[in-house]
Amino acid sequence: MQPTSSMKEEFLQKWQMGLQIYRPLIDNTSVSERRKAIKLSADVAMASLRRGTTCWSRALIQKTATEDNFLVRQMLSGIKAETLINKKLPKVMCHRKIVRRSKKILRRRKSRSAIEEVAAKARKLVKKKTQGLRNVVPGGEFMSNDVLLIQETLDYIVSLQTQVNVMRSIVDAAEAGSERTAYYLGKPKFAIEDG
Amino acid sequence: MDLSGRFGARSGDGVPFREVTGLESLHLGGGDEFRQMVPPENGGGFTALLELPPTRAVELLHSSSSSSSQATLHSLGTLTFPSNPILMERASRFSVIATEQNPNGNISGETTTSSVPSNEHIKTEPAETETSDQAAVEKQNNRCGKRKDFDKKVKSSTKKKSKSSEENEKLPYVHVRARRGQATDSHSLAERARREKINARMKLLQELVPGCDKIQGTALVLDEIINHVQSLQRQVEMLSMRLASVNPRIDFNLDTILASENGSLMDGSFNGTTMQLAWPHQVMETEQSYHHRQLQQPPPQQWPFDGLNQPVWGREENQDHGNDHNSLMVGSASLHPNQVKMEL
Repeated sequence: MQPTSSMKEEFLQKWQMGLQIYRPLIDNTSVSERRKAIKLSADVAMASLRRGTTCWSRALIQKTATEDNFLVRQMLSGIKAETLINKKLPKVMCHRKIVRRSKKILRRRKSRSAIEEVAAKARKLVKKKTQGLRNVVPGGEFMSNDVLLIQETLDYIVSLQTQVNVMRSIVDAAEAGSERTAYYLGKPKFAIEDG
Repeated sequence: MDLSGRFGARSGDGVPFREVTGLESLHLGGGDEFRQMVPPENGGGFTALLELPPTRAVELLHSSSSSSSQATLHSLGTLTFPSNPILMERASRFSVIATEQNPNGNISGETTTSSVPSNEHIKTEPAETETSDQAAVEKQNNRCGKRKDFDKKVKSSTKKKSKSSEENEKLPYVHVRARRGQATDSHSLAERARREKINARMKLLQELVPGCDKIQGTALVLDEIINHVQSLQRQVEMLSMRLASVNPRIDFNLDTILASENGSLMDGSFNGTTMQLAWPHQVMETEQSYHHRQLQQPPPQQWPFDGLNQPVWGREENQDHGNDHNSLMVGSASLHPNQVKMEL
């Protein structure tokens, strides 16, 4: 499934809405602050496309709410904002660690044969990779089973691609626009110098 | 996390030497089952055949000749079978020696008929366990040692082969043989369904991430997926950095960016500098009208975003009937304020 144009459109509108919230504060002149503002509003826009149906979108909104609560509240209108922001993060993470440790202890007495070791290594490798995937996908630690994790990853990748496509076209347009202004600004100067 | 369980086991398939051992254990397993199902009678060997009607004997001989290749089962001892021909063929399909015959089969018809329902009942057992065959294999792959698992897995494939070959020779039965040591069905079924779900979604992921179809093995595919997600996230950061480093006036007014692109493509829209002072407040007006319109009811035709895929924005101009005038003004206007700013 590739990003559709309606998804891109919706993302752009929401992103614009988010950026307008920052417009009165346009005097934050440092580049890093502006970058942060852009990125946060883009993230919230991307997450709000899913309207709280997916786990990663909720986790992403909660993450940005820790950085800029006001933005999130403004961007997500209505009841959704309250429920999403005030929801406490699930405590599944702790349980998984405990379970994993106890499993390790119990596993000490297992018999080893050559083939078993190879298969066990393969299993360990896959487990490591899924843990890495959980670290990358927002809210991954709270996804209890693998089916959910892979589903969320799919959705997250598609949304990321939408975000990247829209942002890239905007950036290209903006940079082209600024180049043009520089060019046009340069012209009269040359005229003056020649004249 | 059981992704590894499935793929780890699968990697062991196709080892040729195991097939032989698999076959043997296969037959042994089948023989044991049948011993449980049908209590052995005293009649043994070919003497029992003499008591049968000739047609039955011929059938038996045919079945025995076809299954003579599985001579290893002679050592299993005598096994008696009901005289029902359907059950006979079933027995031969189970690749157990089918030459023995129940000596009491012809003596009393009632016993055969009475034994038939029980056998029918027993017959249904394998049918039920058919669906959980694969599940049982997987489940045991998880539990038992790996070598046994490979055996069982190969067993299933060889079993299917032998079954299909026999079916081609004999009858169009659909049953699958039962497995010994079958786990409880609901669990195996659930695990099997879960694993199939995971695999289906992994396939989708592989299609989505470029370059993942050729990769074999879960770990590498997951690696690729992680790299892809990380690269997308990094791209978002880079793009936001680039956008922030552009003129601040522009990056927070996205619609002026879009409009400026529109304006740039139309060369004739660039007016002289005499109108500079008049532009700025007009720019604010048009901007506000844009925002107003967008916040209220963003009609999709205003921003036909097919243009997002390509750098050509001219198409938007043509389609944008209501806003031609405004966008023209804004397009050229966005450049002017900058000009004004810099010159001042």
